[in-house]
Amino acid sequence: MARQDALQGSLPLLVLKLLARRGPLHGYAVATQIEGMSDETLRVEEGSLYPALHRLEEAGWITARWTTTGTGRRARVYEITAGGRRQLESEEARWKAITAAVGRILKHA
Amino acid sequence: MSLWSRLTNVFRPGGIERELDEELQFHMDERIRELTATGMPRDEATRQVARRFGNRLRLREESRDVKLLPWLDSLVRDVRLGMRMMRKNAVVTGAAVVSLSLALGACVAAFSLVDALILRPLPVRQPEQLMYLTFPTYTPERPEADTFNDPLFLRLRDAARGRVDLFAMSTQVMRRVTFGDNGGEKESLRTQFVSGDAFDLLGPVPAAGRLFTKQDDLRPGDHPVAVVSHALWIRRFGGDPAILGRWFSLDGDGRGLRGRQFQIVGVAERRFTGVEPGRPTDLWLPYAMYNPHAFGNADFGWFRIVGRMAEHVQPLQAQGVLQAAFTNFRRDRVGYMEPNRSPERVAQFLNTPLYLRSASNGTSPLRREFARSLWILSAIAILVLLIAGSNVANLFLARTAAREREMALRLSLGAGRGRLIQQMLAESSLVAGAACMLGLLFARVAAPTVVRLLGSADDPVQLDLGMDWRLLVFAAGLTLLTAALFGVAPALRASGVAPITALKSGGGGSGVRAGVMRPFVAVQVAFGLVVLFVGSLLVLSFVRVSSVNPGFATSNVLVLSLEALPGVDAALKRTALVQVLDRLRGIPGVQAASAADYNAVGRAWTYGTRVPGTEHETIEATMAPVTPGFFETMSIPVLAGRAFVSRDLDARAPVMIVSDGFARRYFGRQPAVGRIFEGRFGMNDDTSGQYEIVGVVADTRYDLRKPAAPIIYIPLPLLANGTLYVRAAGDPVALGSRLREEVRAANPTFRVTSITTQSAVVERTLLRERLLAMLSGFFALVGLVLAAVGLYGVLSYSVVQRTREIGIRVALGARHLRVIRTVMAETGGAALAGTAAGLAAALYLSQFVEALLFEVTPLDFWSLALPLGTLLLAALLAAALPALRAVRVDPIIALRYE
Repeated sequence: MARQDALQGSLPLLVLKLLARRGPLHGYAVATQIEGMSDETLRVEEGSLYPALHRLEEAGWITARWTTTGTGRRARVYEITAGGRRQLESEEARWKAITAAVGRILKHA
Repeated sequence: MSLWSRLTNVFRPGGIERELDEELQFHMDERIRELTATGMPRDEATRQVARRFGNRLRLREESRDVKLLPWLDSLVRDVRLGMRMMRKNAVVTGAAVVSLSLALGACVAAFSLVDALILRPLPVRQPEQLMYLTFPTYTPERPEADTFNDPLFLRLRDAARGRVDLFAMSTQVMRRVTFGDNGGEKESLRTQFVSGDAFDLLGPVPAAGRLFTKQDDLRPGDHPVAVVSHALWIRRFGGDPAILGRWFSLDGDGRGLRGRQFQIVGVAERRFTGVEPGRPTDLWLPYAMYNPHAFGNADFGWFRIVGRMAEHVQPLQAQGVLQAAFTNFRRDRVGYMEPNRSPERVAQFLNTPLYLRSASNGTSPLRREFARSLWILSAIAILVLLIAGSNVANLFLARTAAREREMALRLSLGAGRGRLIQQMLAESSLVAGAACMLGLLFARVAAPTVVRLLGSADDPVQLDLGMDWRLLVFAAGLTLLTAALFGVAPALRASGVAPITALKSGGGGSGVRAGVMRPFVAVQVAFGLVVLFVGSLLVLSFVRVSSVNPGFATSNVLVLSLEALPGVDAALKRTALVQVLDRLRGIPGVQAASAADYNAVGRAWTYGTRVPGTEHETIEATMAPVTPGFFETMSIPVLAGRAFVSRDLDARAPVMIVSDGFARRYFGRQPAVGRIFEGRFGMNDDTSGQYEIVGVVADTRYDLRKPAAPIIYIPLPLLANGTLYVRAAGDPVALGSRLREEVRAANPTFRVTSITTQSAVVERTLLRERLLAMLSGFFALVGLVLAAVGLYGVLSYSVVQRTREIGIRVALGARHLRVIRTVMAETGGAALAGTAAGLAAALYLSQFVEALLFEVTPLDFWSLALPLGTLLLAALLAAALPALRAVRVDPIIALRYE
């Protein structure tokens, strides 16, 4: 529970960033990459990942299509859209502002 | 995701769930694969992944919710709620649906008629290139003519070559045809003579055999071939291909067209039914087979000139070329005019313009006759729809008031205003949708009924009123528009509820004031008045025109149509006719009997002739061949000279009798009796000669709408298919079957094909007037009732709403009149404003109706008094009950209410 809370609503931001940097990924790759890059600090719950992905898709920030993987299975891969990139920029800026503010308070309080 | 895939998601949730499952399954399998790769046993890995995934069902639900369009989901809920509300207020909803469906149905029916008769282009190649020619005649009887003669046609065709390809199509006539496979029985078919290139230029292809070609034009009288319509082929011959090569005989019409045999060479394609919407052609014959006298004869106008314009040619260019040829032709003809003609007449003759009219949707005389009427009826239907819509709007407003607490509660629980608007609109769409269904059914019945009214038994009208996509789009669009029009105000109103006030006032129903409804009252009264005004103008006009005295007896005169056996010569027919008449005169109950070559009203054959010694080079008059005794039978008074006697029938010196109108128009004050002039009636030589005028009879009208036209009567020369006129002493209908037998008994040469009364014949000429009066009168009443119901509803509502206030006023001693004034003043004001606006609109719009009116103008006393009086009466009736209720308010009960 504690580890999931660590995400704190930043999952969409992370998803957008990942897709922007690493191109089309399926849901499982998104989850493992977030976990791997954060040294397992951030664990992605499947229960929130897929609704989040679908919400992003609904908002038009990412698109999805079915592809075939190297092992010959059908997988749904997601890709960031132009609108998604703009959203990512503003989300990232907001995130930085918030963490900076929280950092300042932690430091000076 | 596109809107389309969202919509499909709603309707096939299964598909999206499968996709979600597949996506999740992939994720799990990948995870398992990775775990087993690190050395974990497979079942252990599976268990771990499953645990980690949690409740898969819930996950799926969550994702699905994101994907389904939430508003569509809620829409379904709204529709369900709407249905429940409709069931709860069954009577009110029913009334709304019925009134709306009547109006919607009328609109749809009117549209389908307008579409079939006026808008729909001919089903031929590039119909927009088609045109036909007309010119003004400067006579009141027929202001614009569209029939041409053969020499003029050839001149015009040569002149226009390369710019417009002209072809000839005769006027359509019902002719008697014998196919010889059913014992020689004759059938009435609509026939048309066309030039050989007509089919080529129009574009239909044969369904069997061949159509006409230029070869069929070569020698007059030498091409006895015929093309039948697809409809006739199916109806009469069951689509039998053996029809090709078959011979049939066509009766002569006694006016110069000789009967003879024709061979069927082809069937036209199914969708081509001729160029006259409403009057589909059964049989086409080559133009060269028409009366041989017609060719090279400039006095014999018998066909329309239709043309197809070349691609690059502008109408104005084509008109210029054709006009020049037309004027040149007339210049050549001027020499044939009387030497003492007036210069004005010559100038008018030479300067007559030639008009090019579009024939893209046909050259229908039916359309010329009924187009305006149909547009007027459509406009009336739309106004009635608006009145009905306003009623429904008020109904919804009142219902909104009743449901104010519900709305307020939902608003305060967090429902968006948009949600509430959506719900109200869903409800009104439901009502409109139900009305649309009913309306379509109504239109299915109403439109064909109107079509039947446009024609008569011997000349039926057939319009293709199939439910095509244009009609459905129109109906759907109109329904949506209606729903939006009457749904938006209540919806906005409902969403505008202030939760606090609505919930605080305990009684409910205090929110929506009758004021919101008042604009609708004004609209209803205004439109109601317009409909009433136009309707009463048309009804008044019909009453006037049908009470016109035609100048002859109608009520107890029987009209019997005769048909002679084939192959009987003229002399025999004449003897047979005399025998028949003698026998009929001897029957008790018969006052007088005579015969004529035509129906005295309704049918007219116009010939040009000359009167020496007058300025009139040609005379347009209806020629009526009648037997002695005709004027007596028809009760037409002889004003000067004498009536026909039996020796006139075979006299060497031909005589004629003219109508008073003829005498006055062509001889002025000079006596007509005793004048002699050259007569050439029709193209038959046996009617030419020096005619002496021996009598003048009173005017009769063959068209009750128009002033009496000049008529020339000649002694019945030869009878093809004659008409008997019999005046009965008593009930003419009872005499009918007896007469049929007597005719057969008198002489077997003749057979009675139909019996009718002269009054029925007269009525048939007022078809359009009756139709307009009936339908507009009906809709005026519907509009009036709806407007009155609307007024009643709003007044009742405001009385209920102000019961407390009334109670206080009564308690303080207000008189009855004062109370009524309080309650009614504002609504009455709205109604008055509506009346003023309606009157102004009605007077403005009446100009479009005026052309159809007979001796009625919009500013007549009755034209104004009838609609205003009726409206006032209806308003008083509508106000009476609410007023009574207001007066009866018991202050004690009213004040205790809270």
